[in-house]
Amino acid sequence: MLFKISWRNIWRSRTRSAVVISSIAVGVWALSFVLSFSNGLIYTFIQNAIRDQYSHIQIHHPKFPEDKNNKHYIENADSILSSIKQIPEIEAATSRVITTGMLSTSHGARGVQVMGVRAKSESSVTKFNQKIVEGSYFIAGKKNQIIISRRLAEKLKVKLRSRMVLTFQDTKGEITAAAFRIGGLYSSGNMIIDESLVYVNDKDLAKSIIIVESNNNNLDVAHEFAIYLKDSDNTALIKDKLKKQYPELLIEDYYDLSPDVELYETQINTSNSIIIIIFMLALIFGIINTMLMAVLERYRELGMLMAIGMNKAKIFFMIVLETFLLSAVAAPIGLGIGILTVYLLQDKGIDLSAFSKGLERFGMETTIYPAMDIELYVQISIAVFITALLASIYPARKAVKLQPVEALHKI
Amino acid sequence: MSIIKANSITKTYNPNTIPVHALRGVNLTINKGEFTAIVGPSGSGKTTLLNIIGGLDRPTSGTIQVDGQNVSELSDNQLIDFRQKKIGFVFQSYNLIPVLTVSENTEFVMLLQKRSKEEREKRVAELLHAVDLNDKKDKRPSQLSGGQQQRVAVARALASKPTFVLADEPTANLDSASASNLLDIMEKLNREEHITFVFSTHDQRVIDRARRVVTLVDGAIDSDVTRD
Ligand SMILES: Nc1ncnc2c1ncn2[C@@H]1O[C@H](COP(=O)(O)OP(=O)(O)O)[C@@H](O)[C@H]1O
Ligand SMILES: [Mg+2]
Repeated sequence: MLFKISWRNIWRSRTRSAVVISSIAVGVWALSFVLSFSNGLIYTFIQNAIRDQYSHIQIHHPKFPEDKNNKHYIENADSILSSIKQIPEIEAATSRVITTGMLSTSHGARGVQVMGVRAKSESSVTKFNQKIVEGSYFIAGKKNQIIISRRLAEKLKVKLRSRMVLTFQDTKGEITAAAFRIGGLYSSGNMIIDESLVYVNDKDLAKSIIIVESNNNNLDVAHEFAIYLKDSDNTALIKDKLKKQYPELLIEDYYDLSPDVELYETQINTSNSIIIIIFMLALIFGIINTMLMAVLERYRELGMLMAIGMNKAKIFFMIVLETFLLSAVAAPIGLGIGILTVYLLQDKGIDLSAFSKGLERFGMETTIYPAMDIELYVQISIAVFITALLASIYPARKAVKLQPVEALHKI
Repeated sequence: MSIIKANSITKTYNPNTIPVHALRGVNLTINKGEFTAIVGPSGSGKTTLLNIIGGLDRPTSGTIQVDGQNVSELSDNQLIDFRQKKIGFVFQSYNLIPVLTVSENTEFVMLLQKRSKEEREKRVAELLHAVDLNDKKDKRPSQLSGGQQQRVAVARALASKPTFVLADEPTANLDSASASNLLDIMEKLNREEHITFVFSTHDQRVIDRARRVVTLVDGAIDSDVTRD
């Protein structure tokens, strides 16, 4: 019966209820849009970070990550790589020879990280070949090609085909140098990467720096394996599998490799919570206002109900229920429109190129694809109902506090 | 058998500013089965007295016993319960819950008392028959005339089989035909079902229908006449 009364009371003042319902619905819609946007942002960010930088899984010599010394290499890279490529869940894999070095031109010198890559498999893992903006990607058979970023080329005042000397320590600690010629310029969209990474062929690099202990002069080595999976969801599974297969090597996934992915996720969650709280605050005052009006308008009626024996707990509950029902009508409407909006936008994406200068510095895409998951919808629904309950307390207390004689004025 | 016993009731509004002495020592006993009118000019204290008897307000001094229970000893929440069980109220207006139908309004107090569905349905049918509103049972109060609404209020007041019914100027907003019709129904319920009615009025035609007439003047009983 209380339910019936509350439900019918909502429709008593249609205009007012329509206003609250639509404002809750619009709020829920806006909230689901904003959250799906930030969700899409983080998703795009992680996907890009995986594609461009971390891959899903990387393999190193256990000492390499902290020391970065090129003496911590893995032997028999060819056979390891081909056996990794056998795993069906893996889309692409490559290996790299890595060292730090000094890049010198006639204009000066600069410390860089030198990536010795396998031209073909590197482009299938990182699509690095697509980042070439001038000149060409590695040409097969050509010796000592180097690819640096356009930004770095400008800084060093060099052009395509310029010659430059790389100086580094070999695995024995001896200083050694090699000359390279710029075959192409890349642009990664990430300023930090652009300024610090240069790319050469792994065999060219290995020849300069690797002094194999066994002295068989075999250059079949790598400092890093990068693995790109067909499906991110399989990351943990393949990581475990590789750990069993190569117990002596360090197998890490992108969470291990990139603390910022996790940091970014927690930051997004915090900002989502703040958005939800702001939304709740905005909503709460609207609801309190409406329900207060509804209570004051029915003062005599509520007085009569108390006079004929409806106790305070029931009156309180009735007002709470009314508020709750209002939001129960509104929330699904808002969520429905929200789902539709996200559905319509998730393929086209939202083009942020107007702000892209700022975003690019952080290595972010300029088109965001809103993405929603069930968890967010549940969060929004819970937030709305908590808001409704909180908002109903004050009006309900007001209703309970009235004295029936005063409310009725005269019996 | 007395069901209401008021002893030296006084009521002073605004005791600290401009005191209004609404009741000045009222002694009144109402017995079971009475059909009593509290009459007097406007401002004489009728509403104040009914409010105190009904446990809607507390006297400044004096005691009031209803059904052997000292009402002033009850807390606010106990009073709500007490009113629900012992007293049927008919107010001048705002009697009904606008969003409920006639039969739902009549049923309401029984629902609060968690009576069974069969009992509620039976009682509602009985009462709506008694107030001659069977054909309006699914209408909302706003679809009824003032007189019909007051009859629903009487049915609602009687639903929980209260010890007595208090009605403050129940006919004040009614035309004379509706007023007389309402009085007919109240009289019949009093005669046939021995329901005790205490009602206030300043309408002479209503006063004429009462069996006992208690007249208030300036917050004190001026006369108390019982007719046959
Ligand atoms: N809440 C109140 N505050 C102050 N004075 C009141 C209040 N209610 C009633 N009175 C005064 O008490 C007196 C009796 O009022 P009331 O019981 O309403 O008389 P009646 O019902 O016979 O017209 C009147 O003078 C009235 O002005
Ligand atoms: Mg009065």
